[in-house]
Amino acid sequence: MASAANANLNAVRETMDVLLEISRLLNTGLDMESLSICVRLCEQGINPEALSAVIKELRKASESLKVQTQPPLKLISSHCIYM
Amino acid sequence: ICTFLQAVSHVLIFVFCFVFSAEVAHQFQYAVRVIGSNYAPTIERDEFLVSEKIKKERGIFLMLFSCLQGVLKHRWSVLYLLLSLSEDPRKPSSRVGNYGALFAQALPRDAHSTPFYCTRPQSLALSYGERSTGLSASVGTSGISSLGVYTLNGPTPTPQPLLPAAGGGQPLGSRLAWTLPVSSSPSSAMVPPAARPPLGPPVPAARVVRPRRDGDPAGEVNEAALVRDILYVFQGIDGKFIKMSAQDNCYKIDSKVVLCKSLRDTSSRLAELGWLHNKVRKYTDARSLDRAFGLVGQSFCASLHQELKEYYRLLSVLHSQLQVEDDQGVTVCTESSLTLRRLLVWMYDPKVRLKTLAALVDFCQGRKGGELASAVHAYGKTGDPQMRALVQHILSLVSHPILNFLYRWIYDGELEDTYHEFFVASDPNVKTDRLWHDKYSLRKSMIPSFITMDQARKVLLIGKSINFLHQVCHDRTPPGKITAASKSADTPKDAAELLSDLEGAFQEKIDAAYFDTSKYLLDVLNRNYLLLEHLQAMRRYLLLGQGDFIRHLMDLLKPELARPATTLYQHNLTGILETAVRATNAQYDNAEILKRLDVRLLEVSPGDTGWDVFSLDYHVDGPISTVFTRECMGHYLRVFNFLWRAKRMEYTLTDIWKGQMCNAKLLKTMPELSGVLHQCHILASEMVHFIHQMQYYITFEVLECSWDELWSKVRQAQDLDHIIAAHDVFLDTIISRCLLDNNSRSLLNQLRAIFDQIIEFQSAQDSLYRSALEELSLRLQYEEKRRQREEEGQWGVTAEQEAEEKKRIQEFQETIPKMRSQLRILTHFYQSIVQQFLVLLMTSSDESLRFLSFRLDFNEHYRAREPRLRASIGATRGRRLSNI
Repeated sequence: MASAANANLNAVRETMDVLLEISRLLNTGLDMESLSICVRLCEQGINPEALSAVIKELRKASESLKVQTQPPLKLISSHCIYM
Repeated sequence: ICTFLQAVSHVLIFVFCFVFSAEVAHQFQYAVRVIGSNYAPTIERDEFLVSEKIKKERGIFLMLFSCLQGVLKHRWSVLYLLLSLSEDPRKPSSRVGNYGALFAQALPRDAHSTPFYCTRPQSLALSYGERSTGLSASVGTSGISSLGVYTLNGPTPTPQPLLPAAGGGQPLGSRLAWTLPVSSSPSSAMVPPAARPPLGPPVPAARVVRPRRDGDPAGEVNEAALVRDILYVFQGIDGKFIKMSAQDNCYKIDSKVVLCKSLRDTSSRLAELGWLHNKVRKYTDARSLDRAFGLVGQSFCASLHQELKEYYRLLSVLHSQLQVEDDQGVTVCTESSLTLRRLLVWMYDPKVRLKTLAALVDFCQGRKGGELASAVHAYGKTGDPQMRALVQHILSLVSHPILNFLYRWIYDGELEDTYHEFFVASDPNVKTDRLWHDKYSLRKSMIPSFITMDQARKVLLIGKSINFLHQVCHDRTPPGKITAASKSADTPKDAAELLSDLEGAFQEKIDAAYFDTSKYLLDVLNRNYLLLEHLQAMRRYLLLGQGDFIRHLMDLLKPELARPATTLYQHNLTGILETAVRATNAQYDNAEILKRLDVRLLEVSPGDTGWDVFSLDYHVDGPISTVFTRECMGHYLRVFNFLWRAKRMEYTLTDIWKGQMCNAKLLKTMPELSGVLHQCHILASEMVHFIHQMQYYITFEVLECSWDELWSKVRQAQDLDHIIAAHDVFLDTIISRCLLDNNSRSLLNQLRAIFDQIIEFQSAQDSLYRSALEELSLRLQYEEKRRQREEEGQWGVTAEQEAEEKKRIQEFQETIPKMRSQLRILTHFYQSIVQQFLVLLMTSSDESLRFLSFRLDFNEHYRAREPRLRASIGATRGRRLSNI
């Protein structure tokens, strides 16, 4: 039982690594945390187009906020509420 | 499910935004709205398409994609998300004040910019018609990438599905459009997908729209049309305005076309490239049909092809650049469009390269093989580093087959040269016995100029030695044992390396192979075939080196050879030879040598005695016959003849002297003979002196010195050619010094005359002695009888007996003057011949002969008699060449 869970965990970890690599190659600018959130959102069935639009919007907004002499903001996720 | 999802997403989005400040709420609302509004995406859930898109962006994706296990349920959506978030590295980072302008920014197409970026070459569109259809086709082929472009720009304009139906896209686009607070160019979203789908983001009105057409033919031709034409001309195809004119052999612009001067000039300059290209192309096409062109020529054509391919690639890049501009319908920006000036600058380097190639092609017309390589090499001697690099590259390709030939020849001795390109030629008609001398020769025209004559000769020698070993010496050791075959030029890169270091590595290779092979060959010859022993045996037997054997042989042969030649039988003489061998030191010689020694009877002319037809012989066969060729053996036999005769003279005179010594005492009792005898003695000693000096000259000055030289050269010889050369020199020297060559024919005749005189003298003296001895014996008999009778008590001699005796003595004494005069004639004749001989000697060109004349006339005995000899040495030196 534990081994199956372990295997599953490994698979998940592997997949996340691969996705991180892909996102790095594509130069998306997503770090691991954001990527995991995005993946979870997509897994829930969200429309990727819309999500990507939102992310871009937020990024632009954050840039503009930065321009307005704000300390650099990072996307941090402290805890995720997951079902 | 919907609400549940929404709840979840709300939370997550909040997580996203939670670090933001107060304005975040606004964004949050927006985000929720967006997400909530569409969960049915418009594009097909096709992983394959998405992955293809991503693959277009980055190549390694495929590897990673295959690693994704079935963990993700909505793999494609993740991928799509990533793709849409991905940034084009060349996209200018846009700092936008307002959101709307974000989508108004024009993004350059990623794949097609100036040729200096590495681009994906597209297929060449070769005609106008094709190009227009190619336009739509290009959309099809690059549809995916264009889709990629679309997605880069964000959701507007919405990505078109591959199927032209775009109905579903519209409502979405419009829906999105109203969510944007500001949209500065709504037209972008509203561009309907028509026959020409929107090719890019909308353009601010300030940009110039480039007309798609070429301009009306009646008016001035604009630059764009010219550029298109030029691109065709670059490949050698006639354009609309610029055509090839055959009589001027250049590309000319149609004079009917209205064109401003500067454009005309620039086009002409660019058209030169087309002409150069045609030249090179014509050559390669013609040569590829030529079957007898050979490997070198083919590699030359291959290298030209390579260069042309690079050129075509450049042209395709230019074409694609042109197509980009056409596709967009507008000039993106003036900096990146294709103008004639830009073409001039970009094509400068290719023009130089093509010029070099065309010049090479001209220079190499009609050459092949090593000549071609020499021609290419000659072109490499230039200061321009680019041209030099190009020519070096071509040279390395061209010389690669030659070097291959060379290595095979050096290391294996094999020559497979169907097109006669290599500089070693083999004559198939030559048999094995002449293999060394005649079979292989140098084809001088095919020696490449980067291989010196010395190297070429060494190469020839190495291969010849290997073949010689295989065929003549029957030595089958594999060439790998003879010389460590270093890595041969397997690739053109090796050839290039070698060429760059011709003096060093190449020379070393050749030298190493040369030394090893020649040493091995000499070893084989000396060990298995006893070359040096045979050389020495020649000296001993044919050149009368083995004194005791020769003397004994002569002793044994004397009675035989005095007989007429027709009565001689070879087997008799051979038997005598054997006896001589067994009785002297010759018996200790190598059996191999002794069995080759033989007697040979020359052709008999009437009146010959045995002396004239006798000769020794030495049989040679196998590899040593390469050194002792038939001509050499002929020379040896001539020299032997000469030496044999001289020896015979010596022998004769020894006999004479012996006789004189013996009989002098006996004939002391006959005082009337003393005058005659005295004359005999004088003449004999003259002759002895002469022959003595001649023998000394022949033995020491001629034979011994030349032999010494030969021996030292042979010991030091590095290859068989050296030995053969030294041997030939040896024989030539001997022959000229022994007066056997054509120049000294007169001298030789004189010498022969002298020899004849000696023989005559011998016979004369013999007869003299005979009669004298007879007389002596008669007198003795008479005395004896008288004594006997006195002892018996009678009168010693009766009066008649005494009278008889006196008469006889009288008669005898009367013969003496005859003898004396005979001798005098003989002496005279002899001396005149010797004087003539001396004169000839003095005026000969050979120094040693001149010194011989000193020795012969050491006390100027002849000089006193012969006025011509009284001329001093200084005078004769001046008159050396004119025969007195």
